[in-house]
Amino acid sequence: MVNLNMENKLKRYEKIEFLGEGQFATVYKARDVETENIVAVKKIKIGSRQEAQDGINRTALREIKLLQELHHKNLIGLLDVFGHMSNVSLVFDFMDTDLEVIIKDNTIILTTANIKSYMLQTLHGLEYLHLNWILHRDLKPNNLLVNSSGILKIGDFGLAKLYGSPNRINTHQVVTRWYRAPELLYGAKQYSTSIDMWAVGCILAELLLRLPLFPGESDLDQLTKIFGVFGNPTEDNWPGVKSLSDYMEFKPFTPIPLKSIFTAAGDDLLDLIESLLVLNPIKRRECSQCLQMPFFSNKPAPTLGSKLPLPQSVRKIRDIEKPSLKRKLLEAAEGGTLSKRLFF
Amino acid sequence: MMASRLGMPAASIPDNPLSLSWHDSAWIPILNTANVMDYFSQGSNPFFDRTCNNEIVKMQRLNPEQLQNMTGLEYVLLHVQEPILYVIRKQHRHSPQQVTPLADYYIIAGVVYQAPDLASVLNSRLLSAVHHIQSSFEESSSFAKYHPSKGYSWDFKSQRVNIEKTKKEEKPREEPSSLFQRQRVDMLLGELIRKFPLPCPPQPKLVPSAPVKQDSENGATENKDIKTEIKQEKIKPPPEKKPRIH
Repeated sequence: MVNLNMENKLKRYEKIEFLGEGQFATVYKARDVETENIVAVKKIKIGSRQEAQDGINRTALREIKLLQELHHKNLIGLLDVFGHMSNVSLVFDFMDTDLEVIIKDNTIILTTANIKSYMLQTLHGLEYLHLNWILHRDLKPNNLLVNSSGILKIGDFGLAKLYGSPNRINTHQVVTRWYRAPELLYGAKQYSTSIDMWAVGCILAELLLRLPLFPGESDLDQLTKIFGVFGNPTEDNWPGVKSLSDYMEFKPFTPIPLKSIFTAAGDDLLDLIESLLVLNPIKRRECSQCLQMPFFSNKPAPTLGSKLPLPQSVRKIRDIEKPSLKRKLLEAAEGGTLSKRLFF
Repeated sequence: MMASRLGMPAASIPDNPLSLSWHDSAWIPILNTANVMDYFSQGSNPFFDRTCNNEIVKMQRLNPEQLQNMTGLEYVLLHVQEPILYVIRKQHRHSPQQVTPLADYYIIAGVVYQAPDLASVLNSRLLSAVHHIQSSFEESSSFAKYHPSKGYSWDFKSQRVNIEKTKKEEKPREEPSSLFQRQRVDMLLGELIRKFPLPCPPQPKLVPSAPVKQDSENGATENKDIKTEIKQEKIKPPPEKKPRIH
Protein backbone atom coordinates (compact mmCIF):
# COMPACT_ATOMS: atom_id res chain seq x y z
CA MET A 1 0.00 0.00 0.00
CA VAL A 2 2.57 2.50 1.13
CA ASN A 3 4.85 1.58 -1.72
CA LEU A 4 2.09 2.08 -4.22
CA ASN A 5 1.42 5.50 -2.80
CA MET A 6 5.06 6.45 -3.13
CA GLU A 7 5.19 5.21 -6.69
CA ASN A 8 2.32 7.54 -7.50
CA LYS A 9 4.08 10.42 -5.87
CA LEU A 10 7.19 9.80 -7.90
CA LYS A 11 5.18 9.91 -11.06
CA ARG A 12 3.16 12.91 -9.94
CA TYR A 13 6.10 15.32 -10.21
CA GLU A 14 7.78 15.50 -13.61
CA LYS A 15 11.26 16.91 -13.46
CA ILE A 16 11.70 19.97 -15.71
CA GLU A 17 15.16 21.19 -14.84
CA PHE A 18 17.84 21.24 -12.18
CA LEU A 19 17.72 24.44 -10.13
CA GLY A 20 20.50 24.25 -7.61
CA GLU A 21 22.37 22.32 -5.00
CA GLY A 22 22.83 23.20 -1.36
CA GLN A 23 24.64 21.60 1.52
CA PHE A 24 21.77 19.30 2.40
CA ALA A 25 19.67 19.09 -0.71
CA THR A 26 19.31 19.36 -4.46
CA VAL A 27 16.40 21.34 -5.87
CA TYR A 28 14.55 20.63 -9.12
CA LYS A 29 11.87 22.49 -10.97
CA ALA A 30 9.02 20.10 -11.66
CA ARG A 31 5.50 19.94 -12.97
CA ASP A 32 2.74 18.57 -10.79
CA VAL A 33 0.88 16.30 -13.20
CA GLU A 34 -2.31 16.35 -11.15
CA THR A 35 -2.72 20.11 -10.91
CA GLU A 36 -0.47 21.25 -13.78
CA ASN A 37 1.25 23.61 -11.32
CA ILE A 38 4.96 24.27 -11.44
CA VAL A 39 6.61 23.30 -8.16
CA ALA A 40 10.06 23.04 -6.63
CA VAL A 41 11.10 19.62 -5.38
CA LYS A 42 13.81 19.64 -2.75
CA LYS A 43 15.48 16.28 -2.51
CA ILE A 44 17.26 15.86 0.81
CA LYS A 45 20.69 14.25 0.57
CA ILE A 46 21.33 11.17 2.61
CA GLY A 47 24.61 12.60 3.84
CA SER A 48 27.20 10.70 5.79
CA ARG A 49 26.48 7.42 7.48
CA GLN A 50 26.61 9.14 10.86
CA GLU A 51 23.89 11.57 9.85
CA ALA A 52 21.83 8.77 8.42
CA GLN A 53 21.98 6.98 11.77
CA ASP A 54 20.11 9.88 13.35
CA GLY A 55 17.34 9.31 10.88
CA ILE A 56 16.09 12.12 8.77
CA ASN A 57 18.21 15.22 8.28
CA ARG A 58 17.57 17.80 11.00
CA THR A 59 16.95 20.83 8.77
CA ALA A 60 14.52 18.86 6.65
CA LEU A 61 12.74 17.70 9.78
CA ARG A 62 12.38 21.31 10.96
CA GLU A 63 10.92 22.35 7.64
CA ILE A 64 8.48 19.46 7.55
CA LYS A 65 7.45 19.91 11.16
CA LEU A 66 6.85 23.65 11.04
CA LEU A 67 5.71 24.30 7.49
CA GLN A 68 2.94 21.72 7.63
CA GLU A 69 1.19 23.89 10.17
CA LEU A 70 1.93 27.27 8.63
CA HIS A 71 -0.18 28.74 5.90
CA HIS A 72 0.33 32.34 4.87
CA LYS A 73 0.57 34.15 1.57
CA ASN A 74 4.06 35.36 2.43
CA LEU A 75 5.49 32.09 3.67
CA ILE A 76 6.71 29.37 1.33
CA GLY A 77 4.07 26.68 1.08
CA LEU A 78 5.04 23.05 1.70
CA LEU A 79 2.75 21.23 -0.72
CA ASP A 80 3.80 17.66 -0.27
CA VAL A 81 6.38 15.36 1.29
CA PHE A 82 7.27 11.95 0.01
CA GLY A 83 9.99 9.41 0.46
CA HIS A 84 11.66 7.05 -1.92
CA MET A 85 14.19 4.47 -0.79
CA SER A 86 16.07 6.31 1.93
CA ASN A 87 15.46 9.73 0.35
CA VAL A 88 13.01 12.35 1.45
CA SER A 89 11.68 14.94 -0.97
CA LEU A 90 9.83 18.12 -0.09
CA VAL A 91 7.55 19.80 -2.60
CA PHE A 92 7.32 23.59 -2.37
CA ASP A 93 5.69 26.47 -4.25
CA PHE A 94 7.90 27.31 -7.22
CA MET A 95 9.54 30.71 -6.83
CA ASP A 96 11.29 32.39 -9.78
CA THR A 97 13.89 34.38 -7.93
CA ASP A 98 14.91 35.86 -4.60
CA LEU A 99 15.81 39.25 -3.18
CA GLU A 100 19.54 38.58 -3.41
CA VAL A 101 19.31 38.20 -7.19
CA ILE A 102 17.11 41.29 -7.41
CA ILE A 103 19.46 43.38 -5.27
CA LYS A 104 22.49 42.35 -7.33
CA ASP A 105 20.85 42.97 -10.72
CA ASN A 106 21.83 46.54 -11.42
CA THR A 107 19.48 46.87 -14.36
CA ILE A 108 16.75 46.94 -11.72
CA ILE A 109 15.87 50.16 -9.96
CA LEU A 110 14.55 49.69 -6.47
CA THR A 111 12.31 52.67 -5.88
CA THR A 112 10.84 53.54 -2.50
CA ALA A 113 7.54 52.06 -3.68
CA ASN A 114 9.21 48.76 -4.62
CA ILE A 115 11.10 48.58 -1.34
CA LYS A 116 7.88 49.32 0.53
CA SER A 117 6.19 46.42 -1.21
CA TYR A 118 8.98 43.96 -0.36
CA MET A 119 9.13 45.14 3.25
CA LEU A 120 5.36 44.92 3.69
CA GLN A 121 5.29 41.35 2.45
CA THR A 122 8.30 40.35 4.53
CA LEU A 123 6.82 41.88 7.67
CA HIS A 124 3.40 40.31 7.06
CA GLY A 125 4.94 36.87 6.70
CA LEU A 126 7.21 37.34 9.67
CA GLU A 127 4.40 38.74 11.80
CA TYR A 128 2.43 35.56 11.20
CA LEU A 129 5.48 33.48 12.05
CA HIS A 130 6.17 35.36 15.27
CA LEU A 131 2.52 35.29 16.32
CA ASN A 132 2.78 31.51 16.04
CA TRP A 133 5.80 31.47 18.34
CA ILE A 134 8.29 30.66 15.64
CA LEU A 135 11.65 32.30 15.02
CA HIS A 136 13.02 32.04 11.52
CA ARG A 137 16.65 32.55 12.58
CA ASP A 138 18.06 32.75 9.07
CA LEU A 139 16.54 35.78 7.39
CA LYS A 140 18.65 37.15 4.53
CA PRO A 141 17.89 38.39 1.00
CA ASN A 142 18.66 34.92 -0.36
CA ASN A 143 15.83 33.41 1.72
CA LEU A 144 13.20 35.94 0.70
CA LEU A 145 11.82 34.29 -2.43
CA VAL A 146 9.92 36.18 -5.09
CA ASN A 147 7.80 34.76 -7.88
CA SER A 148 7.08 36.27 -11.26
CA SER A 149 3.85 37.86 -10.06
CA GLY A 150 5.79 39.77 -7.41
CA ILE A 151 4.69 37.78 -4.36
CA LEU A 152 7.40 37.54 -1.74
CA LYS A 153 7.53 34.43 0.43
CA ILE A 154 9.87 33.72 3.31
CA GLY A 155 11.66 30.47 2.61
CA ASP A 156 14.20 28.07 4.10
CA PHE A 157 12.93 27.07 7.51
CA GLY A 158 15.97 24.89 8.16
CA LEU A 159 16.92 26.93 11.22
CA ALA A 160 13.43 27.93 12.32
CA LYS A 161 12.46 27.05 15.87
CA LEU A 162 9.72 27.51 18.40
CA TYR A 163 10.53 30.15 20.97
CA GLY A 164 9.09 31.35 24.24
CA SER A 165 9.99 28.64 26.74
CA PRO A 166 11.66 30.61 29.51
CA ASN A 167 14.30 28.02 30.35
CA ARG A 168 15.23 26.84 26.91
CA ILE A 169 18.80 27.49 25.90
CA ASN A 170 19.31 28.18 22.22
CA THR A 171 22.44 28.28 20.20
CA HIS A 172 23.72 31.70 19.23
CA GLN A 173 25.33 30.31 16.11
CA VAL A 174 22.35 31.18 13.98
CA VAL A 175 21.69 33.64 11.21
CA THR A 176 24.17 34.35 8.43
CA ARG A 177 26.78 36.63 9.94
CA TRP A 178 25.98 39.84 8.05
CA TYR A 179 22.40 39.72 9.31
CA ARG A 180 23.21 38.54 12.82
CA ALA A 181 22.00 40.72 15.68
CA PRO A 182 24.56 42.12 18.14
CA GLU A 183 23.20 40.08 21.09
CA LEU A 184 23.87 36.86 19.13
CA LEU A 185 27.39 38.03 18.36
CA TYR A 186 27.84 38.63 22.09
CA GLY A 187 26.78 35.02 22.73
CA ALA A 188 23.22 35.45 24.01
CA LYS A 189 21.61 32.03 24.55
CA GLN A 190 18.15 33.38 25.22
CA TYR A 191 16.76 35.59 22.54
CA SER A 192 13.53 36.40 20.89
CA THR A 193 11.86 37.76 17.78
CA SER A 194 14.20 40.74 17.90
CA ILE A 195 16.94 38.69 16.19
CA ASP A 196 14.70 38.37 13.14
CA MET A 197 13.87 42.07 13.31
CA TRP A 198 17.56 43.01 13.19
CA ALA A 199 17.94 40.85 10.08
CA VAL A 200 14.94 42.60 8.50
CA GLY A 201 16.63 45.93 9.23
CA CYS A 202 19.81 44.74 7.50
CA ILE A 203 17.80 43.53 4.51
CA LEU A 204 15.99 46.87 4.27
CA ALA A 205 19.35 48.65 4.33
CA GLU A 206 20.63 46.35 1.60
CA LEU A 207 17.60 47.06 -0.58
CA LEU A 208 18.39 50.76 -0.26
CA LEU A 209 22.15 50.59 -0.76
CA ARG A 210 22.33 47.54 -3.05
CA LEU A 211 25.22 46.39 -0.87
CA PRO A 212 25.21 44.71 2.55
CA LEU A 213 25.22 47.28 5.34
CA PHE A 214 27.53 45.26 7.64
CA PRO A 215 29.66 42.86 5.56
CA GLY A 216 31.71 41.56 8.48
CA GLU A 217 34.62 39.25 7.72
CA SER A 218 34.56 37.64 11.16
CA ASP A 219 32.28 37.81 14.17
CA LEU A 220 34.48 40.47 15.75
CA ASP A 221 34.66 42.43 12.53
CA GLN A 222 30.87 42.19 12.36
CA LEU A 223 30.50 43.91 15.74
CA THR A 224 33.11 46.50 14.73
CA LYS A 225 31.08 47.34 11.63
CA ILE A 226 27.85 47.59 13.64
CA PHE A 227 29.33 49.82 16.34
CA GLY A 228 31.02 51.91 13.65
CA VAL A 229 27.54 53.07 12.66
CA PHE A 230 25.60 53.06 15.93
CA GLY A 231 28.37 53.72 18.43
CA ASN A 232 29.34 51.40 21.28
CA PRO A 233 26.70 49.84 23.49
CA THR A 234 26.69 50.97 27.11
CA GLU A 235 24.81 49.86 30.19
CA ASP A 236 22.70 53.01 29.67
CA ASN A 237 21.43 52.28 26.17
CA TRP A 238 21.51 48.50 26.57
CA PRO A 239 21.14 47.40 30.21
CA GLY A 240 22.67 43.98 30.77
CA VAL A 241 24.96 44.02 27.75
CA LYS A 242 28.06 43.53 29.91
CA SER A 243 26.73 40.30 31.42
CA LEU A 244 26.46 38.57 28.04
CA SER A 245 28.86 35.63 27.89
CA ASP A 246 31.01 36.85 25.01
CA TYR A 247 30.91 40.55 25.92
CA MET A 248 34.02 42.60 25.26
CA GLU A 249 34.88 46.26 25.00
CA PHE A 250 35.60 47.79 21.62
CA LYS A 251 37.53 50.93 20.91
CA PRO A 252 35.13 53.86 21.07
CA PHE A 253 33.22 54.76 17.92
CA THR A 254 31.21 57.87 17.24
CA PRO A 255 27.82 57.05 15.75
CA ILE A 256 27.14 58.08 12.13
CA PRO A 257 23.73 59.63 11.43
CA LEU A 258 21.65 57.26 9.31
CA LYS A 259 20.70 60.20 7.12
CA SER A 260 24.23 60.36 5.76
CA ILE A 261 24.24 56.63 4.93
CA PHE A 262 20.77 56.42 3.39
CA THR A 263 20.98 59.73 1.56
CA ALA A 264 17.84 59.28 -0.52
CA ALA A 265 15.63 57.93 2.27
CA GLY A 266 12.72 60.03 3.45
CA ASP A 267 12.22 60.72 7.14
CA ASP A 268 9.50 58.08 7.48
CA LEU A 269 11.81 55.44 6.03
CA LEU A 270 14.68 56.50 8.28
CA ASP A 271 12.31 56.11 11.24
CA LEU A 272 11.62 52.53 10.21
CA ILE A 273 15.33 51.70 9.85
CA GLU A 274 15.99 53.33 13.19
CA SER A 275 13.37 51.23 14.95
CA LEU A 276 14.64 47.97 13.44
CA LEU A 277 18.36 48.48 13.88
CA VAL A 278 18.52 49.18 17.61
CA LEU A 279 21.41 47.70 19.58
CA ASN A 280 19.28 46.89 22.59
CA PRO A 281 17.05 43.95 21.55
CA ILE A 282 14.30 45.00 23.98
CA LYS A 283 13.97 48.35 22.21
CA ARG A 284 13.77 46.86 18.71
CA ARG A 285 10.27 47.08 17.27
CA GLU A 286 8.11 44.06 16.50
CA CYS A 287 6.53 43.33 13.10
CA SER A 288 3.09 44.50 14.15
CA GLN A 289 4.50 47.77 15.48
CA CYS A 290 6.54 48.33 12.33
CA LEU A 291 3.54 47.76 10.10
CA GLN A 292 1.75 50.56 11.95
CA MET A 293 4.51 53.07 11.17
CA PRO A 294 3.79 56.04 8.91
CA PHE A 295 6.19 54.79 6.22
CA PHE A 296 3.67 52.15 5.15
CA SER A 297 0.71 54.52 4.98
CA ASN A 298 2.57 57.48 3.44
CA LYS A 299 2.99 58.07 -0.26
CA PRO A 300 4.20 56.52 -2.49
CA ALA A 301 1.94 53.48 -2.29
CA PRO A 302 3.71 50.09 -2.41
CA THR A 303 4.19 48.78 -5.94
CA LEU A 304 1.62 46.22 -7.04
CA GLY A 305 3.02 42.69 -7.27
CA SER A 306 2.61 42.51 -11.04
CA LYS A 307 4.59 45.73 -11.49
CA LEU A 308 7.56 44.82 -9.33
CA PRO A 309 10.80 44.56 -11.31
CA LEU A 310 12.10 41.11 -12.23
CA PRO A 311 15.75 40.19 -12.74
CA GLN A 312 17.03 39.81 -16.31
CA SER A 313 17.16 36.01 -16.11
CA VAL A 314 13.46 35.75 -15.22
CA ARG A 315 12.42 38.41 -17.72
CA LYS A 316 13.88 36.42 -20.61
CA ILE A 317 11.92 33.30 -19.73
CA ARG A 318 8.81 35.36 -19.30
CA ASP A 319 9.18 36.98 -22.72
CA ILE A 320 9.09 33.57 -24.35
CA GLU A 321 5.89 32.63 -22.56
CA LYS A 322 4.44 36.07 -23.02
CA PRO A 323 2.33 36.11 -26.22
CA SER A 324 -0.66 34.25 -24.83
CA LEU A 325 -0.59 36.33 -21.69
CA LYS A 326 -0.43 39.51 -23.68
CA ARG A 327 -3.41 38.54 -25.74
CA LYS A 328 -5.36 37.80 -22.60
CA LEU A 329 -4.47 41.18 -21.19
CA LEU A 330 -5.45 42.91 -24.39
CA GLU A 331 -8.78 41.15 -24.39
CA ALA A 332 -9.31 42.14 -20.81
CA ALA A 333 -8.43 45.74 -21.62
CA GLU A 334 -10.84 45.85 -24.53
CA GLY A 335 -13.57 44.43 -22.38
CA GLY A 336 -12.82 47.14 -19.85
CA THR A 337 -13.26 50.00 -22.29
CA LEU A 338 -16.41 48.44 -23.61
CA SER A 339 -18.05 48.29 -20.24
CA LYS A 340 -17.05 51.89 -19.64
CA ARG A 341 -18.76 52.96 -22.81
CA LEU A 342 -21.88 51.16 -21.79
CA PHE A 343 -21.71 52.90 -18.49
CA PHE A 344 -21.94 56.32 -20.17
CA MET B 1 1.09 73.24 -1.86
CA MET B 2 3.43 71.33 -4.12
CA ALA B 3 4.78 69.45 -1.15
CA SER B 4 1.49 67.99 -0.05
CA ARG B 5 0.56 67.00 -3.58
CA LEU B 6 3.74 65.02 -4.12
CA GLY B 7 3.72 63.51 -0.67
CA MET B 8 7.03 65.03 0.32
CA PRO B 9 7.92 65.87 3.87
CA ALA B 10 6.61 69.38 4.42
CA ALA B 11 9.45 70.27 6.73
CA SER B 12 12.00 70.41 3.93
CA ILE B 13 10.03 73.05 2.00
CA PRO B 14 10.39 76.56 3.36
CA ASP B 15 7.39 78.88 3.57
CA ASN B 16 8.39 80.90 0.57
CA PRO B 17 11.24 79.42 -1.44
CA LEU B 18 11.43 82.60 -3.54
CA SER B 19 12.75 84.61 -0.62
CA LEU B 20 15.50 82.09 0.01
CA SER B 21 19.02 81.60 -1.25
CA TRP B 22 21.66 79.01 -0.45
CA HIS B 23 25.36 78.63 -1.03
CA ASP B 24 28.36 76.72 0.27
CA SER B 25 31.41 78.92 0.10
CA ALA B 26 33.79 75.95 0.05
CA TRP B 27 32.42 74.88 -3.32
CA ILE B 28 32.10 78.23 -5.06
CA PRO B 29 35.70 78.48 -6.37
CA ILE B 30 35.63 74.98 -7.88
CA LEU B 31 32.15 74.97 -9.43
CA ASN B 32 31.95 73.70 -12.99
CA THR B 33 29.52 71.90 -15.28
CA ALA B 34 30.68 68.50 -14.09
CA ASN B 35 30.17 69.07 -10.38
CA VAL B 36 27.35 71.59 -10.26
CA MET B 37 24.74 68.84 -9.77
CA ASP B 38 26.75 67.45 -6.86
CA TYR B 39 26.89 70.93 -5.41
CA PHE B 40 23.14 71.30 -5.77
CA SER B 41 22.44 67.89 -4.23
CA GLN B 42 24.12 68.64 -0.94
CA GLY B 43 22.02 67.83 2.08
CA SER B 44 22.03 71.40 3.37
CA ASN B 45 20.53 72.84 0.18
CA PRO B 46 16.91 73.62 1.06
CA PHE B 47 15.90 73.46 -2.62
CA PHE B 48 16.99 69.84 -2.94
CA ASP B 49 14.57 67.05 -2.09
CA ARG B 50 16.76 64.11 -1.11
CA THR B 51 14.04 61.56 -1.87
CA CYS B 52 14.36 62.42 -5.59
CA ASN B 53 15.32 59.86 -8.20
CA ASN B 54 18.80 61.36 -8.65
CA GLU B 55 19.62 60.57 -5.04
CA ILE B 56 18.15 57.05 -5.26
CA VAL B 57 20.34 56.31 -8.29
CA LYS B 58 23.35 57.71 -6.48
CA MET B 59 22.67 55.80 -3.25
CA GLN B 60 22.16 52.51 -5.12
CA ARG B 61 25.26 53.14 -7.28
CA LEU B 62 23.26 52.65 -10.45
CA ASN B 63 24.02 53.97 -13.91
CA PRO B 64 22.87 57.63 -14.06
CA GLU B 65 21.21 56.85 -17.39
CA GLN B 66 18.68 54.82 -15.41
CA LEU B 67 17.04 58.11 -14.47
CA GLN B 68 15.26 58.06 -17.83
CA ASN B 69 13.50 54.83 -16.89
CA MET B 70 12.27 56.02 -13.53
CA THR B 71 9.14 57.95 -12.78
CA GLY B 72 8.84 60.69 -10.21
CA LEU B 73 10.86 63.65 -9.07
CA GLU B 74 14.20 64.42 -10.68
CA TYR B 75 16.62 67.30 -11.22
CA VAL B 76 18.36 68.05 -14.52
CA LEU B 77 20.99 70.57 -15.55
CA LEU B 78 19.06 72.68 -18.02
CA HIS B 79 21.39 75.45 -19.04
CA VAL B 80 25.03 76.34 -18.52
CA GLN B 81 26.82 79.61 -19.06
CA GLU B 82 30.27 78.96 -17.71
CA PRO B 83 31.59 80.00 -15.33
CA ILE B 84 28.91 82.09 -13.73
CA LEU B 85 25.43 80.73 -14.43
CA TYR B 86 23.82 77.30 -14.16
CA VAL B 87 20.12 76.56 -14.41
CA ILE B 88 18.76 73.39 -12.81
CA ARG B 89 15.24 72.18 -13.40
CA LYS B 90 13.12 70.17 -11.00
CA GLN B 91 10.67 68.02 -12.92
CA HIS B 92 8.27 65.14 -12.54
CA ARG B 93 9.01 62.31 -14.97
CA HIS B 94 6.05 60.30 -16.20
CA SER B 95 7.87 58.22 -18.82
CA PRO B 96 11.17 58.31 -20.71
CA GLN B 97 9.62 60.86 -23.07
CA GLN B 98 7.29 62.86 -20.88
CA VAL B 99 8.16 65.24 -18.07
CA THR B 100 6.36 68.07 -16.29
CA PRO B 101 8.60 70.93 -15.15
CA LEU B 102 7.97 71.90 -11.54
CA ALA B 103 10.52 74.63 -10.85
CA ASP B 104 13.75 76.15 -12.13
CA TYR B 105 16.72 77.08 -9.98
CA TYR B 106 19.54 79.31 -11.04
CA ILE B 107 22.99 79.24 -9.58
CA ILE B 108 24.63 82.56 -10.16
CA ALA B 109 28.15 83.07 -8.82
CA GLY B 110 27.60 79.98 -6.69
CA VAL B 111 24.45 81.20 -4.96
CA VAL B 112 21.31 79.17 -5.58
CA TYR B 113 17.95 80.86 -6.04
CA GLN B 114 14.59 79.60 -7.18
CA ALA B 115 13.38 81.30 -10.36
CA PRO B 116 10.04 82.93 -9.64
CA ASP B 117 6.93 81.85 -11.50
CA LEU B 118 5.04 84.36 -13.61
CA ALA B 119 2.29 84.88 -11.05
CA SER B 120 4.84 85.86 -8.41
CA VAL B 121 6.58 88.27 -10.78
CA LEU B 122 3.32 89.95 -11.74
CA ASN B 123 2.13 90.02 -8.16
CA SER B 124 5.31 91.59 -6.99
CA ARG B 125 5.29 94.18 -9.77
CA LEU B 126 1.67 95.07 -9.23
CA LEU B 127 2.25 95.35 -5.51
CA SER B 128 5.21 97.67 -5.90
CA ALA B 129 3.35 99.81 -8.45
CA VAL B 130 0.35 100.12 -6.18
CA HIS B 131 2.60 100.80 -3.23
CA HIS B 132 4.32 103.67 -5.01
CA ILE B 133 1.06 105.17 -6.18
CA GLN B 134 -0.30 104.94 -2.69
CA SER B 135 2.74 106.54 -1.11
CA SER B 136 2.64 109.35 -3.65
CA PHE B 137 -0.94 110.03 -2.73
CA GLU B 138 -0.07 109.93 0.94
CA GLU B 139 2.80 112.31 0.42
CA SER B 140 0.88 114.79 -1.69
CA SER B 141 -2.03 114.77 0.72
CA SER B 142 0.36 115.77 3.50
CA PHE B 143 1.10 119.02 1.62
CA ALA B 144 -2.51 119.99 1.25
CA LYS B 145 -3.66 122.75 3.53
CA TYR B 146 -7.09 123.99 4.25
CA HIS B 147 -7.98 127.42 5.41
CA PRO B 148 -11.62 128.36 6.01
CA SER B 149 -11.29 131.59 4.09
CA LYS B 150 -8.93 130.51 1.28
CA GLY B 151 -10.09 126.94 0.83
CA TYR B 152 -7.52 124.27 -0.21
CA SER B 153 -3.97 125.17 -1.12
CA TRP B 154 -0.51 123.55 -1.35
CA ASP B 155 2.06 124.19 1.33
CA PHE B 156 5.52 122.87 0.54
CA LYS B 157 7.61 125.05 2.83
CA SER B 158 6.81 123.95 6.35
CA GLN B 159 7.56 120.24 5.82
CA ARG B 160 10.50 120.33 3.40
CA VAL B 161 13.19 119.61 6.00
CA ASN B 162 11.27 116.61 7.18
CA ILE B 163 10.97 115.16 3.70
CA GLU B 164 14.62 115.52 2.83
CA LYS B 165 15.52 113.63 5.95
CA THR B 166 13.32 110.70 5.11
CA LYS B 167 14.50 110.71 1.54
CA LYS B 168 18.11 110.40 2.59
CA GLU B 169 17.29 107.56 4.88
CA GLU B 170 15.40 105.65 2.25
CA LYS B 171 17.81 106.04 -0.60
CA PRO B 172 20.39 103.35 0.19
CA ARG B 173 17.69 100.74 0.55
CA GLU B 174 16.56 101.06 -3.03
CA GLU B 175 17.96 98.53 -5.43
CA PRO B 176 16.42 99.17 -8.79
CA SER B 177 16.69 96.40 -11.31
CA SER B 178 19.00 97.08 -14.21
CA LEU B 179 17.69 98.00 -17.63
CA PHE B 180 18.86 94.58 -18.90
CA GLN B 181 16.92 92.72 -16.23
CA ARG B 182 13.76 94.65 -16.91
CA GLN B 183 13.98 94.27 -20.65
CA ARG B 184 14.79 90.60 -20.34
CA VAL B 185 11.65 89.96 -18.34
CA ASP B 186 9.60 92.16 -20.67
CA MET B 187 10.86 90.11 -23.58
CA LEU B 188 9.85 86.89 -21.83
CA LEU B 189 6.43 88.32 -21.08
CA GLY B 190 6.03 89.37 -24.72
CA GLU B 191 6.95 85.90 -25.82
CA LEU B 192 4.39 84.38 -23.50
CA ILE B 193 1.65 86.69 -24.73
CA ARG B 194 2.47 85.66 -28.30
CA LYS B 195 2.31 82.02 -27.31
CA PHE B 196 -0.88 82.35 -25.33
CA PRO B 197 -2.81 85.28 -26.83
CA LEU B 198 -5.31 87.08 -24.64
CA PRO B 199 -8.76 85.60 -24.95
CA CYS B 200 -11.08 87.63 -27.18
CA PRO B 201 -13.78 89.29 -25.12
CA PRO B 202 -17.26 88.17 -26.13
CA GLN B 203 -18.67 90.31 -28.98
CA PRO B 204 -21.37 92.73 -27.87
CA LYS B 205 -24.73 91.56 -29.06
CA LEU B 206 -26.36 93.48 -31.89
CA VAL B 207 -29.72 93.96 -30.19
CA PRO B 208 -29.13 95.95 -26.99
CA SER B 209 -32.42 94.92 -25.38
CA ALA B 210 -31.27 94.93 -21.76
CA PRO B 211 -27.87 96.58 -21.58
CA VAL B 212 -27.50 96.41 -17.80
CA LYS B 213 -28.24 92.74 -17.61
CA GLN B 214 -25.94 91.93 -20.47
CA ASP B 215 -23.13 93.76 -18.81
CA SER B 216 -23.32 91.67 -15.70
CA GLU B 217 -23.61 88.52 -17.76
CA ASN B 218 -20.47 89.36 -19.63
CA GLY B 219 -18.69 90.05 -16.44
CA ALA B 220 -19.72 86.69 -15.07
CA THR B 221 -18.55 84.72 -18.08
CA GLU B 222 -15.32 86.61 -18.13
CA ASN B 223 -14.71 85.69 -14.52
CA LYS B 224 -15.36 82.07 -15.28
CA ASP B 225 -12.87 82.26 -18.13
CA ILE B 226 -10.21 83.55 -15.83
CA LYS B 227 -10.73 80.78 -13.36
CA THR B 228 -10.57 77.96 -15.84
CA GLU B 229 -7.54 79.46 -17.48
CA ILE B 230 -5.62 79.61 -14.28
CA LYS B 231 -6.39 76.00 -13.67
CA GLN B 232 -5.36 74.88 -17.12
CA GLU B 233 -2.27 76.90 -17.72
CA LYS B 234 -0.56 78.64 -14.92
CA ILE B 235 1.75 80.75 -17.03
CA LYS B 236 -0.96 82.42 -19.08
CA PRO B 237 -1.11 86.16 -18.51
CA PRO B 238 -4.22 87.27 -16.70
CA PRO B 239 -6.80 88.87 -18.97
CA GLU B 240 -7.89 92.42 -18.38
CA LYS B 241 -10.26 92.95 -15.55
CA LYS B 242 -13.08 94.60 -17.46
CA PRO B 243 -14.54 93.27 -20.67
CA ARG B 244 -13.85 95.55 -23.59
CA ILE B 245 -17.35 96.29 -24.70
CA HIS B 246 -17.31 100.02 -25.23
